[in-house]
Formats: sequence, C-alpha cells, structure tokens
Amino acid sequence: MLVDLITSRDADRRNASLDAYCGDLTSAQLLAECDELDVFRRRADNLYERVRALFFLYAIHRFHLPGRIKESEAGSEKTAGLIPFAGYEQLLHRRFEEAIDTFLAAQAKDGPSDGLCSALANAYHRLAFQTLADQVRRSVRSVRGNQWMFRVGHPADQPLRIRTELLQRSADGTYPILCEQTPVRMDLTHSAWSDIFFLGMDFPEGAKVLNISVDLGVHGRDARPRPPVSAWLRALDEPVLRLTSVDLGASADITALSDVFDFAKDYLGLLKAAVIAAGIVPPGIEGSGQNLAELLARIVGPGRGLELVSSVNDIPKGSRLAVSTNLLGSLVSVLMRATGQATSLTGELQENERRIVLARALLGEWLGGSGGGWQDSGGVWPGMKLIEGVIAGEGDPEFGISRGRLMPQHRILNLDDASAETRRKLQASLVLVHGGMAQNVGPILEMVTEKYLLRCEAEWRGRQDALRIMDEVLAALKSGDIRALGAATTRNFREPIQAIIPWASTYFTEQLIERVGREFGDDFWGFWMLGGMSGGGMGFIFAPHRKIEGQRRLQEIMSAAKHELQHALPFAMEPVVFDYAINERGTWADLLAGDAALMPSGYYSLTVPQLLRTERQDLPPARRAELDKFATACRAKPELRGMVQTLFDRMFPRLKEEAAGAQNLDELLAANGFDREAHEIIRADLKGGRIGLAQNRLPANLVIEDVRPGDVTHTSRPAHKSIAELGLTALRNGEAAVITLAAGAASRWTQGAGVVKSLHPFCKLGGRHRTFLEVHLAKSRQVARQVGLSVPHVVTTSYLTHGPLTDFLATNRNYGYEGSLLLSRGASVGLRLVPMARDLRFAWEEMPQQVLDEQQQKVRDSLRAALLRWATSAGEATDYRDNLALQCLHPVGHFFEVPNLLRNGTLAALLRERPQLKTLLLHNIDTTGANLDAALLGQHLASGATLSFEVIPRRLDDRGGGLARVDGRVRLVEGLAMPHEELEFGLSYYNSLTTWIDVDGFLRALQLTREDVLAGHEAKIAAGIRALAAKVPTYITLKDVKKRWGHGQEDVFPVAQFEKLWGDLTAVPEIDSRFLVVDRPRGQQLKDQAQLDGWLRDGSAAYVESLCAWE
Amino acid sequence: MDIKRAIITAAGKSQRTLPLQSLVDRDGQTKTALAIIIEEVLAAGIEELCVVIFPGDEPAYRAAAGEHAKRLVFVKQRQPLGYGHAVSCAEEFAGKKPFLLLVGDHLYVSGETRRCAQQLVETAAAENCAVSAVQATHESKLPYYGAVGGRLAAARKGLYEITEVAEKPTPTEAEQRLIVPGLRAGHYLCFFGMHVLTPSVMAMLAEEVAATGSRGGVHLSATLAKLARRERYLAAELTGRRYDIGARYGLLTAQMALALSGKDRDEVLTGLVELLAQRIR
Repeated sequence: MLVDLITSRDADRRNASLDAYCGDLTSAQLLAECDELDVFRRRADNLYERVRALFFLYAIHRFHLPGRIKESEAGSEKTAGLIPFAGYEQLLHRRFEEAIDTFLAAQAKDGPSDGLCSALANAYHRLAFQTLADQVRRSVRSVRGNQWMFRVGHPADQPLRIRTELLQRSADGTYPILCEQTPVRMDLTHSAWSDIFFLGMDFPEGAKVLNISVDLGVHGRDARPRPPVSAWLRALDEPVLRLTSVDLGASADITALSDVFDFAKDYLGLLKAAVIAAGIVPPGIEGSGQNLAELLARIVGPGRGLELVSSVNDIPKGSRLAVSTNLLGSLVSVLMRATGQATSLTGELQENERRIVLARALLGEWLGGSGGGWQDSGGVWPGMKLIEGVIAGEGDPEFGISRGRLMPQHRILNLDDASAETRRKLQASLVLVHGGMAQNVGPILEMVTEKYLLRCEAEWRGRQDALRIMDEVLAALKSGDIRALGAATTRNFREPIQAIIPWASTYFTEQLIERVGREFGDDFWGFWMLGGMSGGGMGFIFAPHRKIEGQRRLQEIMSAAKHELQHALPFAMEPVVFDYAINERGTWADLLAGDAALMPSGYYSLTVPQLLRTERQDLPPARRAELDKFATACRAKPELRGMVQTLFDRMFPRLKEEAAGAQNLDELLAANGFDREAHEIIRADLKGGRIGLAQNRLPANLVIEDVRPGDVTHTSRPAHKSIAELGLTALRNGEAAVITLAAGAASRWTQGAGVVKSLHPFCKLGGRHRTFLEVHLAKSRQVARQVGLSVPHVVTTSYLTHGPLTDFLATNRNYGYEGSLLLSRGASVGLRLVPMARDLRFAWEEMPQQVLDEQQQKVRDSLRAALLRWATSAGEATDYRDNLALQCLHPVGHFFEVPNLLRNGTLAALLRERPQLKTLLLHNIDTTGANLDAALLGQHLASGATLSFEVIPRRLDDRGGGLARVDGRVRLVEGLAMPHEELEFGLSYYNSLTTWIDVDGFLRALQLTREDVLAGHEAKIAAGIRALAAKVPTYITLKDVKKRWGHGQEDVFPVAQFEKLWGDLTAVPEIDSRFLVVDRPRGQQLKDQAQLDGWLRDGSAAYVESLCAWE
Repeated sequence: MDIKRAIITAAGKSQRTLPLQSLVDRDGQTKTALAIIIEEVLAAGIEELCVVIFPGDEPAYRAAAGEHAKRLVFVKQRQPLGYGHAVSCAEEFAGKKPFLLLVGDHLYVSGETRRCAQQLVETAAAENCAVSAVQATHESKLPYYGAVGGRLAAARKGLYEITEVAEKPTPTEAEQRLIVPGLRAGHYLCFFGMHVLTPSVMAMLAEEVAATGSRGGVHLSATLAKLARRERYLAAELTGRRYDIGARYGLLTAQMALALSGKDRDEVLTGLVELLAQRIR
C-alpha cells in the first residue's frame, strides 16, 4: 500500500502524507509494509522513488514503529533487540546497505525492538541523504563545461592559456591586475527553501527563488555601499600560486600541487576551491604527483605564476547573503576571464558565461565540502531575477534520473516586472541587518528535505502556500506596493516557513519583531527572513518616512536584545545595520594597468610589513616597483590615508591588551577555586603518560556484561498502589527537592560556541519559546500544585553560568516560581591544556570514527593534520590561554555538583528550610522529561537505596557507556572507560543521569551527618569529599572549543581537560545503588539541535508539556 | 564544383621560413617543404597556385619551389592583420571561383593511395559546397587550432555538417558548443590546415577587412562561423595526418612520418632501432 504512495500516477495520491496512512496500522502491518518498501527500494531504478522509499522506511522506524512495539509488548520486561556492533561499525564506515542488512537480520532473529528501530531509522536516513548527495555530485561533474577538468591529469594536457593582455607589463615592470567586483544576493523569498538541490531536482515546478543583487556597506562605517565581494588576479614572475585572503588575514605561496587540494591547511580553502573549479589546477590532476610549476608554465609561461587575492570588505559571516558563494563565483569568474574561458575580459559577463560560473561555483562548493543552494551565486547576475527549477529534457545529464535539472534558469526582471520607481521605493523602505547570530543552517536544510520527501502534511501545505506568496511578492513588485510586499514576506515567515521548520525562528528574532512592532506600529510594514534561518541576516520594512529612524533604532534594539540574550543564544558578533543598493550590473571586471594596478588596500597592510622586513635588494624587481607604486598612492589617494598607521600597528602590535587578557584569566582562576597544585600534578601525569585517553579505559581483563532481569526495576508498568502512595506522601510532607545541573555551556548544542544552556530558549512550548530552566521549574510547579506544597528547586552553576543565571532570574523574577529557588555555585574549576598529540591521535585513530563523505573526509584529514601541528608547536600539556578567559577554564565534572551543595552551604540552607527533607532528585539540564514523579520516588524509597539511577533502553544515538555487570557488580560504566567499544553494544540500558539521592545515605558515604552540614564544618566536609573523590577515577577528555576572531569567523580547537563523573559512584562498594528503567520521553536528553525536530514529532515534546504548569 | 586554384599562406611572422626547410620526401628525394606542398596540391588536379608571402620573400620562395616556380603566382601581405586578411590578399587570384586553401607550415601524410588534398577536393566536388578538412584532436591541443562543432552528415562516415566554428576555444567553451557525436571523450574536430572554400568566403573576408581597417584581427574562423550559418559547409575527416612543422620537434616528426611511409622505411627504421639500442646501453 505504501509503495503505491510513491509510484501512483495520481499526483494527489503521490503527494499524500505518509503519517496519515500509517496512523491505523498495527506493528505487524507496519513491519509488512517495511518489508515491501525495502524490496521496492532495492529494485527501483528511479532515483527519487528509491530515495522516497528510504525516507518512508526511516520515518516508520523513527516515528511509528517504536510506539506500536511498546504497545504490543506492554508489561513485558524484554530486553532483547540489542543493536549489533557490526552494523554500527558499518554505519561509521558509511557502508549503509550492509548496515541495513545487519540490522534487518538481527530484527528477524530477535524480533523488532526500540533499539533496532533506532538503528534502522538512522541507516535508512543516512543512505537516503547519501544517495541524494551522490546524485548532485554526479550532476555537478557532468555539467557541460565542467567535464573536461576531470580528464586533465598531466600538465601537458592543460589546455588553458592566460590572455596576453595580462602579460603586458607597465613601464615600471609590473603586470596589470584583473579585478572582479561582485554583489551579494538577498532572497525576497526562496519559496520554503525550494533552492535545495534535492527539491529543485525532484520538484522543479516548485523551485522558485526571487533574488536581488545588492551592494553593501556597514552603516556608520562605510561611506557608501559597494560590491562587497572582489577577486583580484595578476601574473607573477615566480612559478608559484600566491593566494591571499584579505579578510582572513592569510596568504600563502603554494608550490606543491598537493597543497592546492589541502583545503583546511590554512584559511585559503575557498580560494583553492576556486582555482580548482576554474580549471587552473583541474580536479583531475589531484593526486597525480605532478608539478605545479610545470602546470603554471603551461598557462602563464615558463617561470611564471599567478596571484589571486580575495576580499569581502569585512562583511560578517552568517549574513545570509551568500557572501562566500558569491566570492567563490567572483574568484571563478576572474580566473575564467583571465584564461579565455569567458569571452569578456572586462565588463559584465554574458548569460552563458554566468551559467558556467554558477556551475563552477557549485563544483567549488562541493570540492570544499560545503554546499550552497543553487541560487546562491545570484550576485553574479544583475538586479532582480527569478530563478526557477527546470524540468530535465532529453540531452540533459539528469534526464531519466531526476525530474529536474541541477542548473536552474535565471530570468532577469525587467522594468515592466519591477519599475525603477519600485526599486527605489524598496530601497527607501527596507532596512537590512545582521542580528549577530551565526548558526549552522545544515540541519534545517536536511529537515526540509526529509519533510518534503515524506510529504508531511504541514510541509506540503506550507510549500503550496509559499508558492502563492511568491506570486504575491511578484504582484507587489509589479504594482510597486511595498507595503503589500512587507505583508507577504511577513506572512511567509510566520506561516509556511515556520509551519515547515519551527526552528527557523529564534527567541531573539521574535523579540526584535515584537519590539520593532511595538515602537513603529503601523509604520512597520514587515519582516523578511534572509537565507536558511533568522537571527543573522534579516530585513525590516518600514514606511519610507521612518526608514532612517528605523535604521538607528534597529541598531539599538538589536544591541539591547543581544545584550540581554548573549548568554542564552550563540552570538558571534555585535549586530550591525547595513547600507545597501540594488546592483544592476552583476559581476563586473576591470583591467587595472600602470599606476592603477594596485591590489585592495587590505592586501598591503597584510603583505607590506613582511616586505619591509626584507632587505630591499632581496626583493624581486616587480615587488620593489609595486612598493614604490603603493607608496606613491598612499600619498595621493584619500582612501589610503591612515595606511602608515595601519602598517605601524601591524608591525608593532599593542602588547598592553594581551597582558590585560591574561590577568583576567588569572583572576578568574583565583576566584573560582582553581587548585594550582592539583593542576601541576595532572600536567605531569599527562606528560608522563600516566593519564590520558588510553588510560581512561578499564583494564581489558574485566568481565563486562549486560545486566540480568533482576538487576533493574521496570517502572513502565503501573506501579503498585502502595508504592505510588509512598511517594505521594513523601511529596506532601515536603521530603523531596530537585537539583538541576546547569553548569554547562551547551557545547554540543552550539558546536562549542558557549552559551548558558539552561537559559537557551530551545523550543516553543505552550505557545512561546521556553528555556530549559523554565521547563524544569514549570514541572516542579505542577508537582507542587498537585501535592499542595511548594518544591524547593536547586540549580547548580559554574563560573560560566553563575553570573548570567543570577541576573536572568532576578530580571525574570524566578519565572514566578512559588517555591524556594537556590543557586549552588560551583566551587572548583580547571584550566584547559593544549592536548597531547598522542591523545589527539588516539581520539582520531584508535576510537571508532565516523568516516565522512569523500570530499568532507579529505577536508577533515587536512584539518586534523593542522591541529596536530598546532598541539606540537603550542606545546603539549601547556596551559591553554590563547582564547577568551572563560573558554580556557573548564568544569571538573558533575561528580562535584552534589558535594558542592555541602561546601557552599546550599544543602544547609535547604535543610534549614525543610528539616524533613529526605530525597533529592538530581537531573541534567537537558533531560526535559525528568520530574518528581510520585511512583518513582515511592520505588526509590521502598528500595532503601542511597542512589537510584534512572536508565533507558538503549538506542543507536545513546553513546557513552551504560549499565553493566562488571566482575559481578551492577554499575554504570562511562563510555570513556569502556575497554572496547563493542562492549557498549552488549549493554541494554543507557544512563539518563537522573538520580534519586537519599540525603542521609549520601552523607554517610561522606562520613558526615546532618549536624556537620548545618554547622558548616568546612574542614570535615572537605575531608569527606576528598576521600570520596579519591574513590572515583579522573578522566582526561578532549573538548572542542571555539575561538572567535575577525568578523564572525570561528576556529575550533580540541583541548584537554579532566573530569570526575557522578555515575562512577555506582562502583563505590559502600554506596547502595539501584537502577530504575524509565520510558524514553522521561529519560531522553537533548544534546543536539538536530534532535529537536524528531523530539517534537515523536510526541516527546507533548509529553513534557503535559508535565508543565507554565503560569 | 570544379576546383582548379589553390592558395598557400606563408606570410606569418613565425611561419615565413618554414616552407623553405628541406626534407627527404617519401620518394627519397630531398625537397623543400614548399615543393612537397606544391606536389600535394598538383596531385589534387589543381592547375593554378598562389602563395601569400611577406614582402621581399619572393626570391627565396622561387628558389625553394624549384621546378614548380614558374607555375606560382606570388601575392604580398603587407601588414600582419590576421590570417583572414592573408587569405583575402589572394582575392583577385581566386576570382569568384572555389579554391583550395592550405597553410605553408603543414605537411600531410595520407593513409591511402590518394593524397590528402585530393581526398578533400574530391569530397568538395561531390558535395558541391565548402569543406574543411578536420582531425579529431585531444582537448589539450585546443590552444593551437580552430575547431568545429556539428553533426554527422547523413549516411557519410567522416563527414559532418558544421554548425559552429571557434578559433582556439577553451575546453570549457568546446564542451558546451563543439561536442560532436561519435568522437571519444575529450576530443574535438580541429582544423587540418586545409579547406576548400567558396567565393562567398572571399566576399565575407573582404567585408571584414574593410570593417576592421588597420586594427586588423581578421580571423578566418570567424568568417567560417558566418559561412556555416549562410550556406552548407561540411567538415571531412581525411584518411591521413597533418604535421605542423612549426611546432617543437615538428620538422623532425614530419620528416619521420614522411620517411616511415616512404620507400626508405626499412633504412630509417633500422637507424632508429640502432639509436634506441644505443640509448639503452
């Protein structure tokens, strides 16, 4: 039946939603459908039928089967259905087909299970995306004009020759410079991300983007808008490829062919991708062992080379204006012009030339391991244009494979479509800004693709709606009605975009829209989301008479909102307002000769200091001549005024600022309980090889096996009435409190950007964005109302989160929380270390690694080589200080969180407030389902345990240890400590970290009493904690830390830190630990933003909402 | 179509001395390149020959032509305004008749009994239209030649209807405009240096020369591209190969090709093998 949804000739049926059809099927029926779909996808020739079947299989295993299996097995304590490790390894090596077979065989043998469903869902999902990506790649290669470059494998085969105009020297001996200037593009609408390749190639009729080329300037900084992207090229008298990125401050003379393909070695990856995609160093020559100088000699002449310079006029990253794709386009274009691949050496490009630039930019994006949409090089074209998908016809490489072509068509809007007056009016109304957030749009694009192929109802309706809005926008342009345009773009953002992807909006965006709306009322005509998501580049449309005011106020409103939310959301930079102008000529080149042949000024501030340090007679004549020319220009040209100061600052950087930063770090260390002595011991142990990633592991001769049925208590069955009653009575008596661990910086969530995770407004629940903290308090509020007594709630903090949390709770009046809300400040901190190369190698070579897609893997390998060089040159195991002070510190592990309550007096305060307090519920900030559940509390109390840990049946993504019998003792084993990765796959349960703590029992383990705590016996408390800490191991871990620089640029460094973990207390013999198996919605942790969509769709979000009382 | 006139161009700056070089022809006789070309042309049934030369080169060319000197008409190209201009200098000689056009720095070795020029002239006569000889050429050689795009002419192997002509295209351009069905990947039909052209070409060239004046830059390829749009214009793959004696080692290669296809083949081969054997030692 489901196969028919894919193959039906009836469009309505083909576009029907999978969810609607699966709703009534039993697990047996679903499994039968899966069998049929799997057979179908294996024999289907049509790419999209195959991919759709894969997505159906994914969705059934992710969203439909798990619930049905559970229903059919209600009450059983079955732990069967472990995920086979072999399948996991196959997934890591991207052998998806084999992994699917492995998982299916396990399913046939053991029956379906939640864990196997998760594994199959993952494998089908990834195979689907791999299939799509492969097809795009094949199409990019097979575009006519790109193919030959894959055939050139030897310098003698290089058919390109530089145009002679570029070899005509001026009187002073310098070569002319070819300068390409390119606008960026902004989308008026992209019809719900319809520019994603997969969509455009399956549903070309729906792929429509309205795109405007604009010049840009930063308001208040630049005198006027100009094409922000430029590429500069000239011949050299040296046989090298000299690449310079002015904005990234990087320059390199490349002499080896292999370095051209080494994308992550330096910041010149984009320039290298352009050099390759333009055919200068054709992709076919990669790995040939040939000589770069010979290749350059073929093109430019013996002994000569090329210099390529890029500049983006300091436009910040994440502007959603496709700066990098247009820069790629600009670079490709200048290289193509210079080698005769475009007829026009200067001026604008012809339409067929622009198309080949687009094809090359796509190729470059693929080579660099990134991926822009097909409309992103829109800046190459002039003015306003409608970019549309095209149905593949006979003769197209895509014909018979996909419905649409890879390459779209561009229709430039004429004055009939949008008059000069309309264009002027648009510019008089629209304020273009960068909100300062820089986020990864990748997961959103994947979600869009998935929902499209599943024809999720909301998605499909949204998509149709977005196409209607495109018509409205076109009509508004034709009639010159900017107000109507604003209404359309606002509705676009509010309705289709968020119906498809709720995460396209952020709390920050909502705040901006609300505040601007409040202030400007009727004169605020609309909001406009640029690119894949909001928060970075955005547009606000005002009545023209208030535009100037709008620009000024937006800067203030954005800065204020950023200031309020800077700890809650990942901001990469201060918000900026842009000045802009529609660019009506597209990419444009000029040949600069004689005195005018100068590179952009930033180039000289980067290169001249080095040249000045060289003896004049050692400089090549052309360099000397250029320096003379530059010096003359500095005296004459107003735009080069101040260059002397700039150069001086470059050559003699100000030392004072650095010293100030260092002091700051030392102060922070002192203020946060940094133990210098312990730090030196750890450094010595790390250097001496006594601790390290390899040493984290338990001895290999330990017997580690899965738990037996009696080792855990299943709680999904309805609890015995008396047990629930026991818990309820304890709650009514005020015997329980909650501890939320909120010391974390959401490193996985924000890829290392560092925000306060508890304050992160992660999802709209109950109608608006909620922070993790608000969710936890809302759950405690509901319990308090049910039992008629407030619940004390403790939030543990760290040096990173304490200040922001204190301020935030004060501003927001504890979210109106009725009970006592205490912050427990972390009492110790560590200083991160530059990792040992040995540990980096261990992490990358010994631990199982996800092999990436071919091109991305190359980029990653190159990056890792660079990081190894960094670790060695920076000094292994030296203090990591080369970053913001807060990024150099690290928390020392959640083991210390409960002991800290004793040290900092929080427990004493709790006990004074509630002398009857007996139980603490400890949970992680991202375990959104954890609450004071009466039945679970009753279970814990009835068992008499000191610690009751909540565990969940393992799914594929639950990595990092589990519940095991280790030499006969039931305990939690951290992933770091697993002697062999495979062992983890033999464990049925995963630790959710949620723990019920018996206060007195825990104090006994510390050899303390309530009286000691209340009396605040510091020395005794410290001794007790030290003794217990000595019984748990110290792990060395690698953490990715972001370092921000320039204009929104970021680097990620793996640094070493140590930690002690809470779960290891289960290995301490004198502590009685028990284990409760809970349902997934309760135990699920939200670690990664990409999980959110599934979490919302599989009912987990609804479950959490049901536990919350918001007001 | 009756083709009785031929034009040989030899006025180019880097080309002027090449036809004067001596080689040993297939018959074992030592001749100049010019003489070999003239024999190629005469064998095709051509009766009148014109050589376009740089002013002052006539005595040397007369000497190089040897016994054929008296049959030659010399025309001077006074300014280097492009290859198209060189051809148009012979407009009066062509006199509104179809003509065979050759370059002075190419030698041809046929793979069959008829010589290359004869094959071409017979094809043009049979098809009654302009025909350019072409050779499938690897894309790495595109910077040296003009190239054509088109489709196979009905039922004639090796014969193509030309739709596009481009002078020294980049492979980027070639891949988009000049792909011809039936060729190996990365190969294009490039000019062989030999054409039979109709009088309209001379007319178009004259227009072009007048239009560009002293700026020059009159390319034959551009005119041939126009020709393809105006009248039937074919490309023929001949049985044989061309040798550009102006290329690096071009003269040597051409000599080898001549020698290995002529009566002294055994002698030359023996010499070569000895040379190779010594090199190995």
